[in-house]
Amino acid sequence: MKLNSEQIIDKSLKLVVCFFVASAGLWLLAAALFAYISAAKLTDPFFLSSFEYFTYGKIKLAQANAFVYGWGGNSIFAVTLWIVARLAQTESRGRVLVIFAGIIWNLAITFGLLGILDGHMTPHEMLEMPAEVWPALFISYCVIAFFIVVVHRSRKNKETIAPQWFLLSSLLWFPMLFLIAWNGLEINPARGTVQSVLSMWFGQSLIWLWLTPVALGAAYYIIPAILGRAIDKYYLAVFGFWCIATLAPWSVVHHLEGGPVPMWIPAIGTVMSIAMIFPIAVASTNFHSTAFLDISKVWDSLPLRFVIFGTLSYTISSYIGVIFSLPSVAKITQFSIINDFHFNQRVYGFFSMIIFGMVYYILPKITGNEIAKGAKAFHFWTSAFGVLILLLAYLIGGLTHGVLAQQPSLSWASSVISSVMPYFLITELAFIVLGFSQLVFVINVWKAIIPNPFAFWTCGDSQSKPETSA
Amino acid sequence: MNNLLKFTIGIFLSLGVAWLAFVVGARAQFGDLSPSSQNLDDDGNIPLDADLYPLPLSGTAEQGSKEYLALGCMTCHTQQVRMVEAGFDVERGWGQRPSVARDYIHQEHVLLGNTRIGPDLANVGRRQPDLEWLHKHLFEPQSLVPQSLCPPSPFLYDQVDQSSDKSITVVDDSNISRFIVPSIRAKRLVSYIRSLHQDYELPEMAFVINEEDEPDEAAGKENLLDFDSNQSSLPSWLDTQIASGKEIYMKAAPGGGLCFTCHQPTGEGLAGQFPPLAGSDWVLGDKERLIKISIYGLMGEIEVNGIKYNNVMAPPGIPPGSLTDQQIADVLTYIRNDWGNSASAVTSLEVSAVRSQIKGRAPMQMWTAAELNAVDE
Repeated sequence: MKLNSEQIIDKSLKLVVCFFVASAGLWLLAAALFAYISAAKLTDPFFLSSFEYFTYGKIKLAQANAFVYGWGGNSIFAVTLWIVARLAQTESRGRVLVIFAGIIWNLAITFGLLGILDGHMTPHEMLEMPAEVWPALFISYCVIAFFIVVVHRSRKNKETIAPQWFLLSSLLWFPMLFLIAWNGLEINPARGTVQSVLSMWFGQSLIWLWLTPVALGAAYYIIPAILGRAIDKYYLAVFGFWCIATLAPWSVVHHLEGGPVPMWIPAIGTVMSIAMIFPIAVASTNFHSTAFLDISKVWDSLPLRFVIFGTLSYTISSYIGVIFSLPSVAKITQFSIINDFHFNQRVYGFFSMIIFGMVYYILPKITGNEIAKGAKAFHFWTSAFGVLILLLAYLIGGLTHGVLAQQPSLSWASSVISSVMPYFLITELAFIVLGFSQLVFVINVWKAIIPNPFAFWTCGDSQSKPETSA
Repeated sequence: MNNLLKFTIGIFLSLGVAWLAFVVGARAQFGDLSPSSQNLDDDGNIPLDADLYPLPLSGTAEQGSKEYLALGCMTCHTQQVRMVEAGFDVERGWGQRPSVARDYIHQEHVLLGNTRIGPDLANVGRRQPDLEWLHKHLFEPQSLVPQSLCPPSPFLYDQVDQSSDKSITVVDDSNISRFIVPSIRAKRLVSYIRSLHQDYELPEMAFVINEEDEPDEAAGKENLLDFDSNQSSLPSWLDTQIASGKEIYMKAAPGGGLCFTCHQPTGEGLAGQFPPLAGSDWVLGDKERLIKISIYGLMGEIEVNGIKYNNVMAPPGIPPGSLTDQQIADVLTYIRNDWGNSASAVTSLEVSAVRSQIKGRAPMQMWTAAELNAVDE
């Protein structure tokens, strides 16, 4: 049977996308396990305390790194490869090299996490993996990014649209950010607290300029694709994009409020964070005014339900983020567990939810295997519930933590921290729910990729399916 | 937007401008701060005889900072006292004054931290200088602070059955005693924790609270002084530097100096073979000569206190010549302050200055006494 052009592209992408989605799923499970251990250690400090590999500090960092580079990195590759090739109407290129680079990327993260657990971490935010693995990560990233750019360059339609801007910029920002930070922290290390400014700038920018644009780009792609209607007020998107590009790198250092750095640094961060309401409003208008024109369709399509949950979470929590960057609020919450709220709302409530939706949208198309609706719905509801509980616990717990910490008369461990204890317990429960939810996701994904694990190696029947169904 | 090159330049510029401001700007503004005295004279200069702050870390404490990083302590502990208008850190007793950028210039890795599940540690060495308390807290925080969430670190200690002069007794709430012996790593970590104190003023930041205003604080300070006078009459930073130097002097394993095999633990040397260090005119004299010998070793005839010796001293350290600037500073400070010697401390800055001054010298090319004295004149 003759394939149409989209199916040819999908077929060319099948192996690479499946590889990255499958490895992303495994990292998600690893991160879930680390998240549970770290949450459990906060409710019972004696939990696993006799093993040096599992100190709270290490596990917490291992979780963040597995989550951002393992799950985030792999799923970014999968989603970007697919959307860019589809929009370019071009088959993927350099598949062998891309898979090879992907294997290196995953091995490097594995060694990096083992390095953290073994006590070889660096003190730089989101660069905690030992210095030795970074060249491997960087080079394998560049190989993958190169072939995505090659596909984009050979696109049939020279006009670019919003998903391409966001995906391509995220693809290019990561190596730029990394080189800048690596130069200033390891090659020509800055002295004193200049290091802290740079390390915080990298850690926060990574979330804003690497994960966020991918999720926004995916949303710009999938909402019109499923609803079959153009993005409402699309002309605003270009303004939103350049607002993020110019404001986000500035808005990320307000965490240093009152710290041992010149005062203009957090002050600029605050001003720019407030200015971020413009791009947030643009993205929110684009997504939601389109989606609410056809809300029943959004509800019926599970991928879209995930994506709209993600975009709503992006809007709400970004506005909350703006409030928390005001100096009068920041000084209360600055060192509290509100930091975990910011991290989880951005990486979980927003980025991961959109990626879940995207994966559920892509996988049936490239493998030809549908995923059971009940399993997807279970994943959606447990994820939505878990994230909501987790974020509320971190938000209210963070406020409690911060407000009480500002009362000098309260003793630290017995008053301030014990008042936050109940919230730690809630986060532990939330991480159990999320762990189950992620397990279901991974089973869904693996079942779609390898429907019959025992027959897969002997006969290639799963490869012939898309052709027969077409 | 359609031209990839222009697009790339655009997004690179958007990032680059912020980088220019935060990193290049910050580096230009405060990237080359240097130590300063507590007060400047009327012309804004550092007085000639003033002590310079912040003090460099001792070798042991510097190794302790690596343990602090490796165990992930930074995830829950900050090391910064915020400005008065930004929070109540000073009122909470976490410091006499807010931290400033100059406090961190000696640190290889700045461990500011961004979450406080545990208290701030910028001044913990001043707040809690008690060695035994710190060891107990590391072994099992809950034995001292029942509500603490800090994970115990039993892997840093050996548990023994019998109490001895080396062991520390930990009593838990059911009154069971355990005896623990700190490992070298625990000692380093404690040495680092005790070295954390910003208890000096700087030209840009005076104390916000004085001891007299705060009776509790004053009591804490008294304890600190008592503690120091029990150990010796030296300030605590010098004490740690000397302790670290003694460890290097006596150590016969990698990272040690192996000094004692020739110069003897008593510092007396061996008559006719190895010169003494106790009361030696070389040890108590010019620091530069000492630093040079510590980097490259010495051979040939040398006259010490009027007696001639002729032998070879390989560059100290195992393997030879491997001591870091800080270790050399510590061991030299030690030999200048034991066995009745008393001379000024050597800092790692002085060592690195000498090291860069003689950078061209071939490795393992030992000095001769004549050469050193010629340079001296």
